[in-house]
Amino acid sequence: MPTAMLNLIFAPLSEDFFLRALVAILLCGVSAACLGTYIVVRRMAFISTALTHSILPGIVAAALLGFSLYAGALVAALLTAAGVAWISGRKGNSEDSAIGVMLSVMFALGIALMSVGHAWRDFTGLLFGSIVSVGMADLGLIALTSFIVLLVLRALHKELELASFDEEYAQLIGAKPSVLRMVLLVLIALAAVASVRLVGALLTTALFVIPSATGIRLGKSLAQAMSWSALFAAVGGISGLYLSYYISGVPSGAAIVLCCATPYFLVRILK
Amino acid sequence: MVSNACFGLLPAVPYCAADDAACNGIAVSAKNLSAAASAESPIAFSEATFEIPCGCRTALIGANGSGKSTLLRVLAGLTPAASGDVTVLGSQPKLGRSRIAYLAQKPKFNTDVPLRLRRLVQTGTYAHHGWFEECEHGDVAVDRALERLGLLELANRSVHSLSGGQLQRGLLARATVQGAEVLLLDEPFAALDQSSREIVEAFLFNPENNFTVVMATHDPADSQRFDRILELKNGRLATMHACAGHAHRHA
Repeated sequence: MPTAMLNLIFAPLSEDFFLRALVAILLCGVSAACLGTYIVVRRMAFISTALTHSILPGIVAAALLGFSLYAGALVAALLTAAGVAWISGRKGNSEDSAIGVMLSVMFALGIALMSVGHAWRDFTGLLFGSIVSVGMADLGLIALTSFIVLLVLRALHKELELASFDEEYAQLIGAKPSVLRMVLLVLIALAAVASVRLVGALLTTALFVIPSATGIRLGKSLAQAMSWSALFAAVGGISGLYLSYYISGVPSGAAIVLCCATPYFLVRILK
Repeated sequence: MVSNACFGLLPAVPYCAADDAACNGIAVSAKNLSAAASAESPIAFSEATFEIPCGCRTALIGANGSGKSTLLRVLAGLTPAASGDVTVLGSQPKLGRSRIAYLAQKPKFNTDVPLRLRRLVQTGTYAHHGWFEECEHGDVAVDRALERLGLLELANRSVHSLSGGQLQRGLLARATVQGAEVLLLDEPFAALDQSSREIVEAFLFNPENNFTVVMATHDPADSQRFDRILELKNGRLATMHACAGHAHRHA
């Protein structure tokens, strides 16, 4: 019986695509969870959803025009962030509704582009995630992005922590909270672009929000909360990949999200 | 360990240019100053002219809505003056000045961020460091400040579990760690119980602390202890009495 169990665990590891996906979800999950701790405490979940959804038209346009998909996704996400800042900067427009407008406009644009390109079939993996689609080039890019995200979070930890907790004091001593917010938005765009192959544009927010919302209930400091979030993301990501491997037809995105959500509800009930 | 070693290599970039203007014994000076709480609101006070010498404890009195908070925010650099001149420690109020501390009446903290009291007080050292620098070496100063404000046994408590008075003392401890020369306090006694109040008063009026205090207050009993009283009334500012007690208190 234990041998059968071990077989279940080790059999997929002999497949190259599964190994690549495993490394990818660990990198994406951990960096997204650390970044997500700020998203959760600063209540930026909605804008992160807008950024991840806006990746879709970027990728589709890049595919139709023959550019790099990642560049297209990143440009679209940054345009969305700029659009939200522009709309909400005008009088009488709340940021909340600005995000709602940009999210639906970008997503509608993506759907329109997909139908114009008659390319529905090619893009379902981008919507829901597909573990088989992670190639070596993707892995390299995911590693680079995760490294950048973690490096910036580490370098600006004390400023980000202070500006999240007490924005006015950060402003008083000159630690520019508005610049820090822009930095976070760019990092969210980068991390979203990296995760899209694994969990899909529709579910990438889950990687930012669910493990961090679990970790924040257990940590006594922001750094502790981040460690817990990273742990939950890693465990949820790995079990999600196995689930998607063994139950054929379940896309990796949905499986990973369900596995990340289980500890969230458990912590919610127990604590 | 590895990441700490890496970040030791990064240069500490200060948040702002060094702020070492000489102040010639005058901590705050304003001439024909007028200001509004925000760009949309009406002018709260105008033609305010006053001086506060270094080391002077000043009370700022006036009814609700008379502009006390606005004046303090102008001095802190958080709200721009509508017209007139104002200097604090020899230069115009602006953000990024490590020599000035401002305590809002109700601090707008994000209660979702888990934070211990010790860490809150430690953030006072940031003003003297800057981007990319760790501030762990401020520990001795942090302990001393916590002790002076009677918070040592609360150091590892979550900030969000503290009472209003304990939090207010924590913020004063942060200002001490920051080494602020001018304390701008917006009704700090509003949330304090008797024991907290005694600790804060002993701290503020201790002659060994040579900082300048500008404090908004409603309590007429407070005014006995201050060197100087400024009153905001009907959009005008009047100096009630100058630093009378100042000289003999230091004698």
